[in-house]
Amino acid sequence: MEKEILMQIQVLFPVVAGCLLFIFSRRENKKVQTKYVTAVLLAETVLVAVSMFMGKTTVESFCLTPEIRLILCNDGLSAIFCILVTLVWLFVGIYSFCYLKGTRKPVMFYGFYLIALGVLQGIGLAGNLVSFYLFYEWMTLMTVPFVFYTRTKESVRAARKYLFYSVTGATLVLAAIFLLAGNTDGLRFTGSALNEAANRTEVLVAAALLILGFGTKAGMFPMHGWLPTAHPVAPAPASAVLSGVITKAGVLGLIRSLYYVIGADYLSGTPIQIMFFGLSLLTVFMGSMLAYKEKILKKRLAYSTVSQVSYILFGLALFTPAGLAAALLHMVFHSVIKNALFLFAGTVIHETGEERVDGLRGLGKEMPVTFWCFTFAALSLVGIPPMAGFVSKWYLAKGALSASAGVFSYLGPAVLLLSALLTAGYLLPITADGFFPGRDYVMATPEAREGNVSMMVPLIVFAAASVLLGVFSAPLYRFVTELGLNLMF
Amino acid sequence: MIGTLHFSAEGFRVLYALLASFLWLMTSLFSKQYFYGHRNLKRYFVFCAATFVAVLGVFFAGDLLTLFLFFEIMSFTSYVWVAQEETEAALRASKTYLAIAVIGGLSMLMGLFLLEHAFGTLRISELRTSAELFLAGKGGNFGNRSTYLYTAAALLTVGFGAKAGVFPLHIWLPKAHPAAPAPASALLSGMLTKCGIFGMLLVNCYLLFADAAWGKVILILGTVTMVLGAVSAVFSVDIKRTLACSSVSQIGFITLGIGMINVMGGHGIAIQGTVYHMVNHSLLKLVLFLAAGVIYVNTHSLDLNEIRGYGRKHPFLGAAVAFGGLGLAGVPGLNGYISKTLLHESLVEHMEHLEKAGMYSEIGMFKTVEVLFLVSGGLTLAYMLKLFIAIFVEKGDGEKHTGKNSMTVLSGIAVCGSALLLPVLGLTPNIIFAKIGNLAEAFLCPAEAVTGEAESIRWLSAENLKGAAISVLIGIFVYLFVVRVFLMKKENGRKLYVNRIPSWFDLEDTVYRPVIVQALPFVLAFVCRVCDRLTDTVAGVLRMTVFAPRKRKMSIWVGTRLTHTLGTAMDAVISVLNKTIFHNHPISKSFVSVFAVSELEARKTFSLITGSVSFGLLLAATGLAITLIYLLF
Repeated sequence: MEKEILMQIQVLFPVVAGCLLFIFSRRENKKVQTKYVTAVLLAETVLVAVSMFMGKTTVESFCLTPEIRLILCNDGLSAIFCILVTLVWLFVGIYSFCYLKGTRKPVMFYGFYLIALGVLQGIGLAGNLVSFYLFYEWMTLMTVPFVFYTRTKESVRAARKYLFYSVTGATLVLAAIFLLAGNTDGLRFTGSALNEAANRTEVLVAAALLILGFGTKAGMFPMHGWLPTAHPVAPAPASAVLSGVITKAGVLGLIRSLYYVIGADYLSGTPIQIMFFGLSLLTVFMGSMLAYKEKILKKRLAYSTVSQVSYILFGLALFTPAGLAAALLHMVFHSVIKNALFLFAGTVIHETGEERVDGLRGLGKEMPVTFWCFTFAALSLVGIPPMAGFVSKWYLAKGALSASAGVFSYLGPAVLLLSALLTAGYLLPITADGFFPGRDYVMATPEAREGNVSMMVPLIVFAAASVLLGVFSAPLYRFVTELGLNLMF
Repeated sequence: MIGTLHFSAEGFRVLYALLASFLWLMTSLFSKQYFYGHRNLKRYFVFCAATFVAVLGVFFAGDLLTLFLFFEIMSFTSYVWVAQEETEAALRASKTYLAIAVIGGLSMLMGLFLLEHAFGTLRISELRTSAELFLAGKGGNFGNRSTYLYTAAALLTVGFGAKAGVFPLHIWLPKAHPAAPAPASALLSGMLTKCGIFGMLLVNCYLLFADAAWGKVILILGTVTMVLGAVSAVFSVDIKRTLACSSVSQIGFITLGIGMINVMGGHGIAIQGTVYHMVNHSLLKLVLFLAAGVIYVNTHSLDLNEIRGYGRKHPFLGAAVAFGGLGLAGVPGLNGYISKTLLHESLVEHMEHLEKAGMYSEIGMFKTVEVLFLVSGGLTLAYMLKLFIAIFVEKGDGEKHTGKNSMTVLSGIAVCGSALLLPVLGLTPNIIFAKIGNLAEAFLCPAEAVTGEAESIRWLSAENLKGAAISVLIGIFVYLFVVRVFLMKKENGRKLYVNRIPSWFDLEDTVYRPVIVQALPFVLAFVCRVCDRLTDTVAGVLRMTVFAPRKRKMSIWVGTRLTHTLGTAMDAVISVLNKTIFHNHPISKSFVSVFAVSELEARKTFSLITGSVSFGLLLAATGLAITLIYLLF
């Protein structure tokens, strides 16, 4: 019984905490605010850890109608997602205290930040597609304030665009749910919830809609447009979680709907798979190419996210246990790496106000630790062994080659590597110019000017994780492999 | 599963690890003098040590993944060497170096993907059997199995060849070596290129052992590299650039040897020639680059015209360069002679074999290769003579830099100590080289294919000396009639060395950079940009058309229909004018309301007038007047 309650607390606690923050925020005591937020984040981390430790359980927490039930369930996939989200949220939260100091009304950010954490727990724990959809919509709404936080004209426009894309995507998902509802028994996440009388056309159309709909959040062509608009205007911690976590909610949605509801075997070899392959590979290449051409640092990172999240989608498109495992690995690793990169961008912007890539020349000598963190994260994203990005890329390629996906078996790894080349092209020059500005470079300040400790610690943690998760990837790999195998065999 | 590193320490690997240690030791001894007063030294030494570890990792790697891991680490840590000086040329060279390293690395990775998929293992000791089993097997989604294997091998070779400096990915060498500090150049040329060669040896001798067709491709690549490097070295007037081009050329010799190993099916002579030349080239380039470093430290220049005559009073340095140069050119008595003779011998023997077998059609190709081999040997002598005579024989500007000591004691030990090894190796081929040969054969050949014929070669037989003599003659001829005549020009009564190669004749600047850095990204980015904007454009168009907020009819119609129409038309005209003529002072008033107001005013005035008494009186008066006029007329 405690388990069930614990799971519901896991979702509700941050939401309530966030609402309380809004209610009592009239007292403008910043110190108390940050302490409160830290305490909530830490408590939630403990809660998640305990809840995940207690093992798998299912609870029906709410029943709108007999058809629409809110079900929470923590399986392996929930564990990965919830732990990832909570840890990212904790460190980015600590980072944001210093970053947002001096901006107007940081409490607005923190409030929605906490609520969004609760909603994301809900996404992770959702036990059927309807519950998932509910939390998914709320996630969109709760994260919109991140984008227009600065309240400039561009940020409001970007927020509107984000909302437009997200709602369009969610509508497609809803349409798919309608289509699926009749063909399944309750949209539960069982591995293949389709009933015998399932109409093939309807299911395939639903799958296509799901791919497009959830692909919106995951930044897949043709619905990736919100990412490069929303990221540059949002504050760095917000960009970090948008890129590192919110896009992953789309990925999770795809896994839940395609793998857990429809079933991978059902979709393998269908035209839908080919569409999925084509879109994801196109996005992989397009994202890197545009990132390579982009001159604004955060926008470059946003395009990089577009490209990298589609690596994950490519893994999912394989519809094999190996593909799923590799996709999950890359989901975790990309989240960590992209957080490191965005926190790097944030630190640089916070300390120097430099938003363009060419303005970073020589900064490596002034901010060595920051740039070293960037370098490791960048090398990891490019896929240099033994770092995290390499491990996931290795398994993605291996999964692609061993899946019988026709031409995509070979095209996939080739595109991944081509994109890796471009990734090197858009990330490594930053390091190179940062540390080797040339002889004529004169330092702006003689001493190093790193960020505040509370900014450096999260950055270092993410950068270290993007290396160490690769070196010690075996436990995680075993976990996701088992997850994939249990689901599909 | 990745996550386990495998190491192996067979004889040949140990030998090369020892050699690497020796090179690192010698360059470190020299570093003290070279880097006196330089900036950012901590950086250099940290990355130097890291590269050393990585190089050892490459040589000891027991599987290809471990090898790849250390290979990549090596590529990135050695990048710092090239960029160390932070001059413009160095930064540019370092970018090229990094680009080539990344491209090579990713190509290799693709090769590894394919191999792993096919074999299920990447252990080097199992590669040969795995390849055989794979080729014999059936089924799977491999397509044509031998094509699959060739593709994998080609991808790996691109990666290794890029590091080794094989055509067409040799472009980083002539740029990176002059830009890097001299000790680093020695290591880049002496050891890092050998890591690439080591990988190529693995591909050729393990993956595609005794595959003659593959061997021929490598042979041709090697020949092109060899000739190209030698020719550009002859033209160069920068001492380190000459040495770098010479590295390209010598790597070509080695690659040719690797090709011959496969063509001859693992014949002892080819293996020994290749491996000896690897070892020789490492040592020779160590000596030569350190010597170049000594010259640079004292003169602060690498230009032949400026350092000319520097060495006239430095006999030890001269002796070291002479040993290095003659060794490189393959003059009997020095180590280069041994390896070049064996390589030449392998070509000759293969041709004899072909003749016996009656395959005359193929002899032509090998004959051409042999001729090019001898010519390149001659060119080697020519460019080393050019360097030696310019620095140590001729009088010139460099003489004014001649101080008392050119080298500190440590540097002296490094340069002269390494130089002394060259004749020692060259004079005792049957002792040291024979051992190396045995190690190499054990490493590169399956046990049953080891032949071990090198011992039977009589090094000073007329036949073997003939090849060297031809090369020497060609070299002297080229030096006298090309270098002294065509590559020098009289200026102010003095003859200066000039580089006759036009500046556009550069593969990197003329082809690679424009295509890869500009043209390709431009086209692809355009396509991607179109994709990127697609949804936004569709959404925008929809917003403007179907979902356009309907223009609300103004709830209060100002003015009449006539004034409204007139005003709207006028507004349109004005807005056009605002955008064009009145750009600076736009008219901001709306004519719809202006007309409406004036119409209203007019109407009000009119009703006011019509309602007034004076208007009535006026009308009455007008009526009276009209009546009066009517009555009158």
